[in-house]
Amino acid sequence: MSLQITDLRKRFGGTQALDGISFAVEPGQVFGFLGANGAGKTTTMRIVLDILRADTGTVTWQGTPSTDLPRRTFGYLPEERGLYPRMQVLEQLVFFAGLYGVPRKTAAADVRGWLARFRVPEYADRRAEELSKGNQQKIQFIAAVLHDPDVLIMDEPFSGLDPVNVALLKAAFLEMRERGKTLIFSTHQMEMVEELCDAVAIIDAGRLVANGTTADVKRSSGKRVVRLGVAGDPELPWLAELDGIRVGRSGRDYSEIEVVPPRDPETILHAAIERGEHVTLFEIADPSLEQIFVDLVGRRAAPDEERTLAHLPANARA
Amino acid sequence: MHFRLANVLTIARREYLVRVRTRSFKVATIFLVMAAVLVTLAPLAVRWLDRDSTAKVGIYTAATLSFDPIARLDTTVNLPATPGGKGPFTFSTVVDPTAGRAAVEKGDLSAVVDVARDPSGDLAFTIVSKDGPTLKIPTLLRQASSVLATTDRLLRGGYPADKLGSLGVPPSVSVVGPTPPKPGDQPKDFAGEVGSVLTGQALVIFLFMAIILYGQWVAMSVAEEKSSRVMEIVLNAASPFELLAGKVVGVGSLGLTQYATAIVPAVIALLLQDRIASVLLGATAASAAPAASGLTPPLLIAFAVLFVLGFLLYAVLYAAAGSLVSRMEDINSVVAPMTLVGMAGYLIAVYTASGLIPADAGWVVILSYVPFVSPYLMLSRFASGLAGPMDLAIASGLLVVAIVVCLWIAARIYAAGVLTYGQKPSARALFTAAFAHRG
Repeated sequence: MSLQITDLRKRFGGTQALDGISFAVEPGQVFGFLGANGAGKTTTMRIVLDILRADTGTVTWQGTPSTDLPRRTFGYLPEERGLYPRMQVLEQLVFFAGLYGVPRKTAAADVRGWLARFRVPEYADRRAEELSKGNQQKIQFIAAVLHDPDVLIMDEPFSGLDPVNVALLKAAFLEMRERGKTLIFSTHQMEMVEELCDAVAIIDAGRLVANGTTADVKRSSGKRVVRLGVAGDPELPWLAELDGIRVGRSGRDYSEIEVVPPRDPETILHAAIERGEHVTLFEIADPSLEQIFVDLVGRRAAPDEERTLAHLPANARA
Repeated sequence: MHFRLANVLTIARREYLVRVRTRSFKVATIFLVMAAVLVTLAPLAVRWLDRDSTAKVGIYTAATLSFDPIARLDTTVNLPATPGGKGPFTFSTVVDPTAGRAAVEKGDLSAVVDVARDPSGDLAFTIVSKDGPTLKIPTLLRQASSVLATTDRLLRGGYPADKLGSLGVPPSVSVVGPTPPKPGDQPKDFAGEVGSVLTGQALVIFLFMAIILYGQWVAMSVAEEKSSRVMEIVLNAASPFELLAGKVVGVGSLGLTQYATAIVPAVIALLLQDRIASVLLGATAASAAPAASGLTPPLLIAFAVLFVLGFLLYAVLYAAAGSLVSRMEDINSVVAPMTLVGMAGYLIAVYTASGLIPADAGWVVILSYVPFVSPYLMLSRFASGLAGPMDLAIASGLLVVAIVVCLWIAARIYAAGVLTYGQKPSARALFTAAFAHRG
């Protein structure tokens, strides 16, 4: 039984933030939830978590409506990072866990375990305001997982982390998946999605524009990508004469060519050989998720700007 | 979502522990303890300051008198309050009225009584004093003047001088309320009366400070969670209502702790009052006029009840107000309406306690039942003995009703406000948040 999101609609004043979003996340999946700024990702997540109520539509997890689920079903790492600035790390993590019903002793032991794992055991007694932004983010990740939720929902978990910490967080992700947890996260780093996600959903302006396993979504456009390398002349000016293709990247060693159906990728190899090129590389691949995203949304996914006007709930839940 | 008490307690506990450790809390507690002890001992302090104070008063007689005015006064109005003590005045003769005025101006004399004879033959008096006509010294000197005038008339009318005796000694007069005193009620003397007025005023001031201070803490705590964005993490675990309730309970318990800390030494001072009195005033003086304690157990109970209910009423609204701002700097402007209402109640109560507004005026009586101002006014009226337990119960009942209504409204504003950033709350938005029908 999956996390089933059905026909969510939500209007804030004059803006239709969500316009009939439906998709499903299978238990145990790592799920990428993608969209440009203002597409409705955060609103969707808040509705799934029952922090916000949808105008219409339902969210169920294993058949139970999210409004009836115990709060500890979900772990949440919000996009707007925040901790109690003047509280000690250990103390506030134990507090957060306490709200989910985790006994203080258990929580304290788990916190120390997580801190050690993130290589910052000495932070237990520090006040949150003394930590760097990246380290505060690790603390918030711990806050989201301490109560051992079945579903972990994270809004931009990797933003602002250095490569070492990205690797630590990725390892934590994978381990949670091994333990059968369901992970849903949004990000603007498409390589991360390709690397980690079993399935994705892409939304734009409150509507779902793609959904499925990562491989299916990549193939869904029917486009293929050809990487062609030839000896001597890396510019390949004759490519401009062919139709049904777009030169994505003219590289030093090879060119990346987007091939639109009905053109067969192999015709490019033939064309190269006909022109007497000495082919050193020929590869047919799926387009990158980045390309799919740009095609569907019309622009690149970019990190959010500092927001003054977040998604504004006019009436939140009581 | 269901209401979980455990979450309210967890949130209240955090709120309490974080704040109890701050330096501002410790400093405020020390200040309160000292203030509470001082207030408890206020009647005693008034008595002590008053104990041996005698006012120096010069008598200038332009008229010819057939008796010695100073000797006459010393045997009538200037008798000591306690055996062996001193009277309120030390009289001396002034020969030059201009020099007498100068001495009053300089402060060497508290007053000069200028005794002249008017054309009808009666004595006429001019009291030269820096104090206004209603204050203690001029009032007592009026009494003295009438003793002198009466004596003069009697002697001129042929009354035998040796029979004057204690003719001018003021009779014993007591002023009581219309309800008969219960057995066991101690009569209050002047110092006791002043003491209980002071106590009533001080309690109103404490209550006002507490509600403003702790209410402000609630608002700050909400705004802090919002501005540090920790709100969203907490909201995944707890409902806005639990968060609101937890905050109010946490800060409220903190306030109770602080006031309980202050009240313990005050009660000890109260119990030791007689002993402190006998040390300060001497055994005879203390027993001769038992210290009327300003701070009585019923008054303390009334204070506690009105403190808790008044705080709850204001705190839920402060929390709602705090949820509307994104930055700490904006708090003052959103809490201003509540602070103004509170201030109005407080000022009326203080003016009532000090007699500037009659405490039994109809509108004061009505307002003393109206939530928002009733905590101050009912406390003031209760302290001065004008309101009884029944009045307190009615005011408390109305407060409870107001709390329930405000909690309902505040929880809705709060739920809408906590996730809203950067918007200026308009009256319409507030109304929508509070009353809009939600599916």
